[in-house]
Amino acid sequence: MRGQDEAVLFWDGVSVFYGACRAVDNVSLTVRAGEVVALTGPNGSGKSTLLRVAAGVCQLDAGRVWIHGRERKSDPRAYARQVGWSPQQSGLYEELTVEENLRLFGRLQGLYGSRLHQNVQRILDQFGLGPRRRQRVGTLSGGWKQRVNVAAALVHSPPVVLLDEPTSGLDGESRDRLLVDISRLREQGCSIVLATHQTEEVAAVADRVVQMHNGRLLEPCTDGFSASASRQRVMLWGQLRCHPPRFVLRLVRQRIPDDVNLELIGKRLRLCADSPETLGHALAELLREGVAFESYRMVAHRVTRRAS
Amino acid sequence: MISHGRILYALIIKDWLLFWSDRRTFFFSFLVPVILASAFGLVFERPAPGTASYPRLPVSVVVEDSGPFTEAMVRELLVSPHLQAQQVDRATAMVAVRRHRVPVAIIIPEGFEHAATQRKSLWERPKSESRPQLELLYDASRRGEAEWASGILAEILLKQLCSQQLSPWMSADWQSWLPFQVVTVPVAYHSQSRFNTYTHSFCGMTLQYLLFWGMESGLLFLRERRGAVWWRLRAVAAPLKTLVAAKVLTTAGVGCLQVLVTFTFGWLVFRVTIDGSLVGFVLICLAMCLLAAATGLLVAAWGNVEGHARNISIVVILSVSMLGGLWLPAFLLPEWVREVAMVLPTTWAMQGLSAVTWQGAPFRTVLPEFAGVCAFSFLLFLLAVGRLHYLEKRSV
Repeated sequence: MRGQDEAVLFWDGVSVFYGACRAVDNVSLTVRAGEVVALTGPNGSGKSTLLRVAAGVCQLDAGRVWIHGRERKSDPRAYARQVGWSPQQSGLYEELTVEENLRLFGRLQGLYGSRLHQNVQRILDQFGLGPRRRQRVGTLSGGWKQRVNVAAALVHSPPVVLLDEPTSGLDGESRDRLLVDISRLREQGCSIVLATHQTEEVAAVADRVVQMHNGRLLEPCTDGFSASASRQRVMLWGQLRCHPPRFVLRLVRQRIPDDVNLELIGKRLRLCADSPETLGHALAELLREGVAFESYRMVAHRVTRRAS
Repeated sequence: MISHGRILYALIIKDWLLFWSDRRTFFFSFLVPVILASAFGLVFERPAPGTASYPRLPVSVVVEDSGPFTEAMVRELLVSPHLQAQQVDRATAMVAVRRHRVPVAIIIPEGFEHAATQRKSLWERPKSESRPQLELLYDASRRGEAEWASGILAEILLKQLCSQQLSPWMSADWQSWLPFQVVTVPVAYHSQSRFNTYTHSFCGMTLQYLLFWGMESGLLFLRERRGAVWWRLRAVAAPLKTLVAAKVLTTAGVGCLQVLVTFTFGWLVFRVTIDGSLVGFVLICLAMCLLAAATGLLVAAWGNVEGHARNISIVVILSVSMLGGLWLPAFLLPEWVREVAMVLPTTWAMQGLSAVTWQGAPFRTVLPEFAGVCAFSFLLFLLAVGRLHYLEKRSV
């Protein structure tokens, strides 16, 4: 088993040009085993290009990329087996069913026979796709399609997962589901790199947030890590039975500590706190004021805060 | 370690599933060629000469004169095995020709009897002003039928003149008095071979819809190439040559199935048979399937927007089908068109197919056609793969 501090993915002085445009400019970044790194930044900042470089579908103009100490050009197929890449747009065959898509990408990664069957079954269960396995991807809603898009990247159990804007275009519920899936992947020991411009959203699941602008990392570090300090973060996603009155929320906000983040979108509620005790206190305040939950889910994880 | 074979297998399975998942492509690959080939065969089917159902030329006969010579001639016209003649007045005949009901009207004018019978013997040279005149009114769009009617009329008129002059030596069987015989011999590789419109239409439509299937396969490849799925395929380290090989094999494989279905239907329903070499037929069909696959690659490589690529491909395929003699036999096309069409692969493929089907050609005879179609396929393949390599280098 690999140690938590082991560098799994390493971009070393990577530069990419699109014609005269410099998409990525001398970027060095390391991702450790089991770490979730969020690449954030405005559109065109080079996030997707950095992921494409690691996925091996974009040619480097300078620098190198390693995964487990291996470069793509030395053995492309062995390298490809180490990576699961989910592109921003749906990289699926819409005419094929969910299961057929997963089987295809499993086969292309060298799985066959019972191993292919087991992996596909595992992914279907993990992403709750079982009931939709025989449904054509083209007939799925945006949220389900995106789940399949992510699932297809994971069917061969890669140690490194690259997710390009996995939550873009999703409604709140689908987004929450996908973030829970990502949390589970981290629990399984996957190293995950997320590209997104929705910083608030991914901060809940990311260990480290790295900002990019004009193809550069905003906080370059000598060892490839952002200067950071880790802390425990607990999150609760809840589905409410009915929308509570505004004055109730105002009242609860006054009673809970300032570092507890309370968000309400429609009937979805999100609570985020530094400790389970603080979160429990906030939840108790909500329940005391008569806020009734249909269902809720709690996730605890480590979050990296940048020194700035 | 993943072998190229496994990636190739996975891609072929994918393309095969995609083919069966698209009902429209299935419909256009199997049902439409069978329906169109049957319809073309039915429309252009002609009974063999000498049979009761052999078509006769419809004509109107207008008689404005009288006399034994005229009456005998009209009788001959009405009973001629080449004509479907009906006696009417001049006004009715004019209307019938003008409204395209009959292509030709033969008018025997007043004074014809006198002018035709005034000569003492056949050897007496007639004066030009005293030669009897017959009018032939024809539909302006059907000049060919007018020539045909003119020939038949000349034959009947000469027969009547001979009967009049040589009577009583000449019997009713005037054909036996002719100093020659015309023997018609159909020329093909096989003595029993006869032109069958269904065989021609099934060969033509199979080839045309093979090209359409190639186009559909190419458009699917184009969609893949322009979508995120392409990058996902490249991310799993599927090399371009494997992706191209999978596409060629699937397109050619489905093409073979298409040929099998179409010709089996033709054989069962319309007695479309392979009178020539079966090996030659298989080779020509394989070459046609490769041509379809190369066409598809060309569409995928040079196409940009799917809609535009589809429209241009349809126009090109229909044009090369028409010029290559896939709709109508090539001999019906003008000479210059036939010469130009020799630079088209469809012409070579159709010649090869015709040779091994209804003409009954042996294996060796169709080798040039086989080589020709393969050469065209190879050329298209080179153009497509060269372009794909160029695009690949530019985009990665």
